[in-house]
Amino acid sequence: MSWDKELDEVARRRELALRMGGAEKVARQHASGKLTVRERIDALLDPGSFREVGTIAGSARYDGTELVDFTPANQIAGHGTIDARPVAIVGDDFTVRGGAADASIHEKLLYPERLAHDLRMPIIRLVDGTGGGGSVRTLESKGFTYVPALPGWHVLDANLTRVPVVGLALGSVAGLGAARVAASHYSLMVRDTAQIFAAGPPVVAHAGRQVTKEELGGSQLHARNGTVDDEVESEQLAFANTRRFLSYMPRSVYELPGRNPCADDPHRRDEMLLSIVPRDERKVYAMRPIVEAIVDRGSFFEIGRLWGRSVIGGLARFNGISCAVLASDPYHYGGAWTRTSSEKLARLVDLADTFHLPIVHLVDVPGFQIGVDAERAATIRAGVRAMSAIERSTVPWCTVLVRKCFGVAGAANRPAGRLSIRYAWPSGSWGSLPIAGGLEAAYRADLDAAANPQEMREQIEARLRAVTSPLRSAEKFSIEEIIDPRDTRRLVCEFADLALHALTPGPSTQPYRP
Amino acid sequence: MKRLLSPVSGTLRTYLVDVGAQVKPDTEVALIESMKMEIPVLAEFSGRITALLADPSSMIEEGQPLLEIGV
Repeated sequence: MSWDKELDEVARRRELALRMGGAEKVARQHASGKLTVRERIDALLDPGSFREVGTIAGSARYDGTELVDFTPANQIAGHGTIDARPVAIVGDDFTVRGGAADASIHEKLLYPERLAHDLRMPIIRLVDGTGGGGSVRTLESKGFTYVPALPGWHVLDANLTRVPVVGLALGSVAGLGAARVAASHYSLMVRDTAQIFAAGPPVVAHAGRQVTKEELGGSQLHARNGTVDDEVESEQLAFANTRRFLSYMPRSVYELPGRNPCADDPHRRDEMLLSIVPRDERKVYAMRPIVEAIVDRGSFFEIGRLWGRSVIGGLARFNGISCAVLASDPYHYGGAWTRTSSEKLARLVDLADTFHLPIVHLVDVPGFQIGVDAERAATIRAGVRAMSAIERSTVPWCTVLVRKCFGVAGAANRPAGRLSIRYAWPSGSWGSLPIAGGLEAAYRADLDAAANPQEMREQIEARLRAVTSPLRSAEKFSIEEIIDPRDTRRLVCEFADLALHALTPGPSTQPYRP
Repeated sequence: MKRLLSPVSGTLRTYLVDVGAQVKPDTEVALIESMKMEIPVLAEFSGRITALLADPSSMIEEGQPLLEIGV
């Protein structure tokens, strides 16, 4: 007597589960420019690696003991591999009740989170719909209301301190779905097909404002305000970015990122670096080519290109070693720290510290953004948070002063309380305040009393300019070393080699907050 | 039709293109003085300039439309 009958029944139910919400709903999903959750998982993971858990979980209807209908739960969960490294994965099935909670099984939603937590592997959330969030429909089915709670959220939160978490918004996501995207180390939304909001247009309309879902929560808004890190043009690109992000990460905080093979000569010199910074301090230059010139060729993975734009951030490799890269962008407020760029910087420093990535910081910071807009935005509040992130970080830092380094934000070019490696280019210029502007403040009384204030101003400026050579700073060890810009790659690769041996696996002393 | 929004607040020194000009994403279309720097604004899109929307020498807010590009 075998168990074939029961296994046939399992196979039948699996077949029913693979239909998802049915042919019509699947066609509608495709028509709206979206893949189904199963197609997404297949596109993201290594071929054939998906090990599904809870395949035949769902709601069944019986005639006596005979199954007559079956609707799968609207979360698909399990694990697989990306580049042969294990990952946990959970994806909403929008074809079943729009991903809403009334068609979900809560324990199934939590299972992959626990899997990632306990077996120490990254987790990827493919969010489409309310992401397991509530629906007023449950009022009828349950017959009572309840005080809102997020059972299991503590696992999602703990995962932020433990394993890499990627949140992808792949459709209109609201409420808990939006929270599951944002509570991540790296988040993306797909342009035009994904929107994110606390509550969607019908709820907002009830509150008195008619907006489209794109106006309310499109990537035009949320990839530019930091709700998500980036927007991409297609789901395929979202998966490519996910794979790439994870390639820099250790499997969990209990491991180190390690070293990848590197085909690029760590001693490679780029002649362009010698002249890229203009002598005229009012002129800007492009920082990204500098980053590209010093990292292992093609290894810079930028994160958050469209928000907090005066700071460029991302991941890269130096001689095969994964590092976080921070760099000023003079095209945005001259590289000054704004509220959003301070938030972005803090987020990246926290990420680096959580996953043991040494930090490379290319500095051209005239200070915090100044002016009425900056004060209105509470820039200093976000700024000191970034400074705390820097100060409390424990991974090694290598700072390169490319040009300006002024004021409080400039002083945060590295953690002040411990050793870091630091170099300056000969274009370096620094101080508490730039001479322009600072002169008037410091010599106000003298200028007011002068018979010819303009002449006196020029005399004072000439005296001050005479002592601003970075070489004078180096005499006093205020800057440790002035280097040929073309040697930057060699020196930062050397730093990465040293840093690799100074990293300690384990949870960060500053638990990550999203 | 796309509206190019100012990436920074500051003083619009000058437009570097006229209506009718063909631009690419990296074309410098305006110069804004901000944080004591002359910051070029890049077109971000490819297309033809159809309208200039701000007055030279005026104060510009971050996110303020600077020009329209027919794409």
